[in-house]
Amino acid sequence: MSSTGRGMIDFARQFMPALAAATETVSGGGRMTGRRVGIALTLEPKTACFVEAVASLGAEVAVFGSGHSTKGAVAAALAESGVQVFAEEGAERDRVSELREAFIDTRPEYVSDDGASIVRRIHAERRDVLGDLLGVAEETTSGVRPLRVMEAEGALMVPCVAVNDARVKSLFDNVYGTGQSVVMAMLDATNMQMSGSAVVVVGYGRVGRGIASVARGLGARVTVTEIDPVEALAAHHDGFRVRPLAQAVTEADFVITATGIGHTLTAEHVALMRDGVIIAVGGAGPPEFDPSMGPALEWGPEVRPKVRPLSTGSGVTVFVVADGYCANTSAGEGNPIEVMDLSLALQLRALDLLATGDLAPGVHLLPRHIEDEVAGSQLAAAGIEIDQPTEAQIRAATSW
Amino acid sequence: MLDGFVRRRLADGALTGKRVAVVLHLEAKTAFLATVLADAGARVVVAGSNPWTTRDDVAAAMVERGVEVHSSRRSTPEVWEADLMKVAETEPEYIIDDGAELTVRIARDRPDIYSRLKGVSEETTTGVARLRQMEQAGRLPMPVIAANDAACKHMFDNRYGTGQSTIQAILQLTNLRLPGKRVAIVGYGWVGRGIANYVHALGGRVVAVEVDPIKGLEAHTDGHEVADLMTALGEADLVITATGGMRSVTERHFPALAPSTILANAGHHDLEIDVPALRDASTTEEEVRPGVTRFMLDGEKPVFVLAEGALVNIAGGLGHPVEIMDLSFSVQALGCHLLASGDLAPGVHQFPIELDQAIATAKLASQGIRLDLLEEGQSDTLSELLEADTWRSRGSQ
Repeated sequence: MSSTGRGMIDFARQFMPALAAATETVSGGGRMTGRRVGIALTLEPKTACFVEAVASLGAEVAVFGSGHSTKGAVAAALAESGVQVFAEEGAERDRVSELREAFIDTRPEYVSDDGASIVRRIHAERRDVLGDLLGVAEETTSGVRPLRVMEAEGALMVPCVAVNDARVKSLFDNVYGTGQSVVMAMLDATNMQMSGSAVVVVGYGRVGRGIASVARGLGARVTVTEIDPVEALAAHHDGFRVRPLAQAVTEADFVITATGIGHTLTAEHVALMRDGVIIAVGGAGPPEFDPSMGPALEWGPEVRPKVRPLSTGSGVTVFVVADGYCANTSAGEGNPIEVMDLSLALQLRALDLLATGDLAPGVHLLPRHIEDEVAGSQLAAAGIEIDQPTEAQIRAATSW
Repeated sequence: MLDGFVRRRLADGALTGKRVAVVLHLEAKTAFLATVLADAGARVVVAGSNPWTTRDDVAAAMVERGVEVHSSRRSTPEVWEADLMKVAETEPEYIIDDGAELTVRIARDRPDIYSRLKGVSEETTTGVARLRQMEQAGRLPMPVIAANDAACKHMFDNRYGTGQSTIQAILQLTNLRLPGKRVAIVGYGWVGRGIANYVHALGGRVVAVEVDPIKGLEAHTDGHEVADLMTALGEADLVITATGGMRSVTERHFPALAPSTILANAGHHDLEIDVPALRDASTTEEEVRPGVTRFMLDGEKPVFVLAEGALVNIAGGLGHPVEIMDLSFSVQALGCHLLASGDLAPGVHQFPIELDQAIATAKLASQGIRLDLLEEGQSDTLSELLEADTWRSRGSQ
């Protein structure tokens, strides 16, 4: 089993030049040596490359992953190479909680967090290890949001780097990575054709933009729904139909949510849908799609792997991909390797930045030069050269 | 479609008691076609059209429903040949064929059965080309319907079906990203066009390779870069073969490949990427992910082959999307019905335009889409063109 995991990890590494470059840069400073690092990202081949990069820098690494997104073969391969693994494929909720507590018990100094789940847990329930925690690198939009709330309320006690907010992350990972992988995971799970279909994309943030663009590319007629007038206007200018959600879902073949906000799509909306609609979540997962809110719906048994029917009393059955968990990680392998190469290179640089000890408690952005170096390393690997600004351009840009 | 429209058309008893062999990629959608034919009274025998693409669970379910099946997944080419001959032994009257695989074998090995064949309906571009060669050689004693050439087949199945599912399978097998990828597409027929369209739409950069100047010019005019194969291979991150022929990428091309190039095949032949030659030129071969084999060329340059060079969308994915096969198999079922009810002369026949239009009309209606009818006075008729008075009264001069 672990040999498959090893093969998959090594295949991914072949397409991760930015992570390799970041590892080399960070190794020069030696700041990760002997540090306890906890990594709580979706556990699959790409993050395994990141885990092994951190371990190669001399850190003691522990990893945690949820039951529905952990790839068992990868976890086994990591355990074999000496990493402490607190993740089991298919683990149920109670078991995942146990694993998470055991992971926190390793008293990590630095954490790569996803959805701020570990840093929130430590601040709220596990203050016994808060003194050990020196910094957090947060991967997602859904995680940066609560960190900023904590900061505003004066509750955040450690420096956090919002890796998600780096342009090199959100312009690529969220748009191209999640956009491609959510749509593909949904099509893989259902074996459906997208050309000629009506797709509703709920939310036109970066992920929604990516999904809408991929769906259009595959020949769908896309309708966007929004609550933010600026994003809605952007969707309108991008040539998409913009409608209120309750209206849009009545004509949909596919409904994909990408808001990252709970209770976005509910049973009220399902009741308005046509028979046979496919629902997938491209945002944060439950309860972004909340079938408990509104009229009573009934779940049926899986009709294909990762596809379950949900019926209204009035003869309408819709099909939900991955029970409403984020489709790309739960029904597929997550984001593509090359975009995670960028994100994980930034993660590594963020850990290294936190380890300088120069950052105060609060939410910080990655400095521009780090972003430029990470983007530059992937361009270099693709053999792409760009221009340097001339003296005259620099003068023009910096004078008034 | 298949469940409603086609069933109704087949209900006239023309297929009752007829022996029909179905040789297609054996998965859920194909099984449904076989069931529809069996329900219309035909005695159906099924085999897979490729040694690597049969799904055992589907085969088992068909046996349970009383259909005779000779096929299993991961069989060897030898077992597959033997399975095809078992189907031949049932002395089919009609064949729904893929790549003309069964028809050609019966012609070669069982001339006695071949002479009694009453008709063949052919699914693929490759198979139609083979059967036309047979016709030219004077070795086609029965009528053949070029199901592939029906608009409701190739315009949708080959272009959108293979296009979407090929890209889907490649991304799923590798977990790689398409935006920014340089993708060489070898062959710009219906399949190549479809793949190129999706690659472009998803942010990949296409370079098309052709031997036909008209198709090459079409690719150029569609906005794709066009280059010779050696040049294209040298710059490609991903190579997709879609010629329907053999050995498109072979020994002399290997030195041109960049390290870590991914090779995938979307054409009928497993040998379109010459995997045996690649094996000979490599020091090691290892499956690094399910469906992804790494060959070390000359011991130092890794290249990756998907699904062992078999049709990547079927052998490495789920096959065509459901809705597309509904169209394709409607063509096949009606083609088989036409062979059984008509008295077509020997030779390759086009699928009748009336049937093509009937299928498209039924499909549109199932989607709730309405079209307009041409009204009187809207078409340019010969009588108007030749009658000066009418011509002037139209205000054309």
